[in-house]
Amino acid sequence: MSRRIGRILLRAVITLVMVAILNFGLFRVIPGDPASLLLGGARTSVTDEQIEAQRQNWGLDRPLFPDQALDYLSATLQGDLGYSFKFRGRHVADLILERLPATIVLVGLAQFIAILCGVMLGVYAGWRRGGAVDHAATGVSLALYSTPSFWLGMLLVVIFSTALGWLPGYGAYSPGANVGSLDLALDYLRHLALPVTAVALGLIGQYVVVARAAMSDVVTEDYMVTARAKGLTGGQMLMRHAFRNAMLPVVTLITLNLGYVVAGAITVEAVFAWPGIGGLTVEALNARDYPVLQGIFLLLGVSIVMANLIADLAYGLLDPRVRQ
Amino acid sequence: MSKSTIRYSGRTRARAIKTFLGQFLGYGGAQLGLLCLVFFLVTAAMPNILVGPLQTAINATGDFLAPPSGQHLLGTDEVGRDVLNLVVHGARISLTIALLATVISLVVGTTVGMTAGYFGRWVDVWLMRLTDFFFVMPSFVLALVITPVVLEVMGRGREILGFRPSLFVILVVIGMTSWAFVARVVRSQTLSLKERTFVDRARVAGSSNFSIMVRHILPNLVPQIAANGALVVAGAIYVETSLSFLGLGDPLQPSWGTLLSLAQRAGAASAGAWWYLGAPGVCVLTVSLSFVLIGNALDDTFNPRRRVIP
Repeated sequence: MSRRIGRILLRAVITLVMVAILNFGLFRVIPGDPASLLLGGARTSVTDEQIEAQRQNWGLDRPLFPDQALDYLSATLQGDLGYSFKFRGRHVADLILERLPATIVLVGLAQFIAILCGVMLGVYAGWRRGGAVDHAATGVSLALYSTPSFWLGMLLVVIFSTALGWLPGYGAYSPGANVGSLDLALDYLRHLALPVTAVALGLIGQYVVVARAAMSDVVTEDYMVTARAKGLTGGQMLMRHAFRNAMLPVVTLITLNLGYVVAGAITVEAVFAWPGIGGLTVEALNARDYPVLQGIFLLLGVSIVMANLIADLAYGLLDPRVRQ
Repeated sequence: MSKSTIRYSGRTRARAIKTFLGQFLGYGGAQLGLLCLVFFLVTAAMPNILVGPLQTAINATGDFLAPPSGQHLLGTDEVGRDVLNLVVHGARISLTIALLATVISLVVGTTVGMTAGYFGRWVDVWLMRLTDFFFVMPSFVLALVITPVVLEVMGRGREILGFRPSLFVILVVIGMTSWAFVARVVRSQTLSLKERTFVDRARVAGSSNFSIMVRHILPNLVPQIAANGALVVAGAIYVETSLSFLGLGDPLQPSWGTLLSLAQRAGAASAGAWWYLGAPGVCVLTVSLSFVLIGNALDDTFNPRRRVIP
């Protein structure tokens, strides 16, 4: 058991180191000297001494490895991710922290809805395999699974915002909403409805598919025959034996899925101008704001590795066969 | 070695292929997927014959954001271009990128997986650590940061192999970041294959490691590679569409994702121009669903006991 945990931790650390190497190396190969970039294109009015002074100031005169790499590592560990190009002089860490809550709300709520609906539907479809619900759920899930969630978002805007006028399809607040009032909270929820639906619909497909597959595997196991022979009713069999065992792969998928959830959320945020990490990514991409892009990559990398770590550890706790 | 090849005579192989096709085409999903795929491949093969050359803002023929009519079956975009024309040309670009990215991904994945599985020991350990990294990090997230940096280094000027630079970079980056799953599947299969008698026999007959891998192990991996390849294409389409949607595509060679990005920038959704954003989206959905269905049918045919996706 402890050897298993050691191996899992080692793997997570190695992946994190590779994220750091990629993040450090990738953004060093961009052409153009940062020092002359900072002083602007006006080469005539800047002397070579001034550029040299800037290079020393930013530590660019020292060797890339180990000096600059170690500087990068220690600064990153202290939460210093550098300065943005586009948002002149703002700390990248501040920019990301500012946008993070909106994304967490969007992703969290969408995950919650998708897990609830997807797992229930998938378990039912796998339990009553071959029935009408199974056929319908499988077909719709495969279609949703193959659809980019941002396109679902665009369709939702056309239908519910433009044609029907029920819900807003842009931003997080209406202009002129009163700060701190109940109206503001309701306004926020109304703005949240369509983006959350888009992200959740993209996920439901996957969860239905996996929950159904896990359930149909479990149903044919020997212990289900034993349970029936003991005289348990269908409901008891489902809850006590089938459901708990079928949840193993589902729990792993949900945790491992974080990267894909965030990837989906980034594009959906771009559709709805949702003020989260996705919106920031698009702004950084368009302005070629590399420090911000680098910061976002680090955030995504670390969270994905952490989610995987949790998934691996949880699997050991949930499955007694692995625990031994 | 020559004896083992004689045993699989032409007739046996033909019969094996026939049985396989019979089983594979027995799945409704496979039929539907193949039908859609053939339709799109034909469309992508001859866009100029079907709808004429790609329209630009200069030679656009229609009104701005006009709904579908007899003249423009799928309406027009914000500069008056025919959406049908754009979507048909987009088919060629989207499919080429996805298929080439998949080829790269399968070559890298198979090489890494087979090498790791065949040689074992430290080769296996280090290659699998590399694979773990690409397995954990989604292709989309990696491509999101790698693509703009590579573009910056290369410059956006000339075309490479007939692709605009950004499309070329996107397809290589997708290919180089989406092979981890293939590598894992191939490795585990290789582990069991290398213990078989025919590998021992080849080794005794004096075959080199390389020749054993290419002549004896690789042919036995084809089923796994094919089934996973179909799913890799679906993934590649998804990543390409998302990246282009975020503005990394090229308006001069618009893929379906780029068209969706243009539609988003033109405010097609709030203008109610459902035809403009609907057409490329339906294409993405259909092609990607076709590959998922074909991949599942292949998987079911090759190993009916283990189903990844129903």
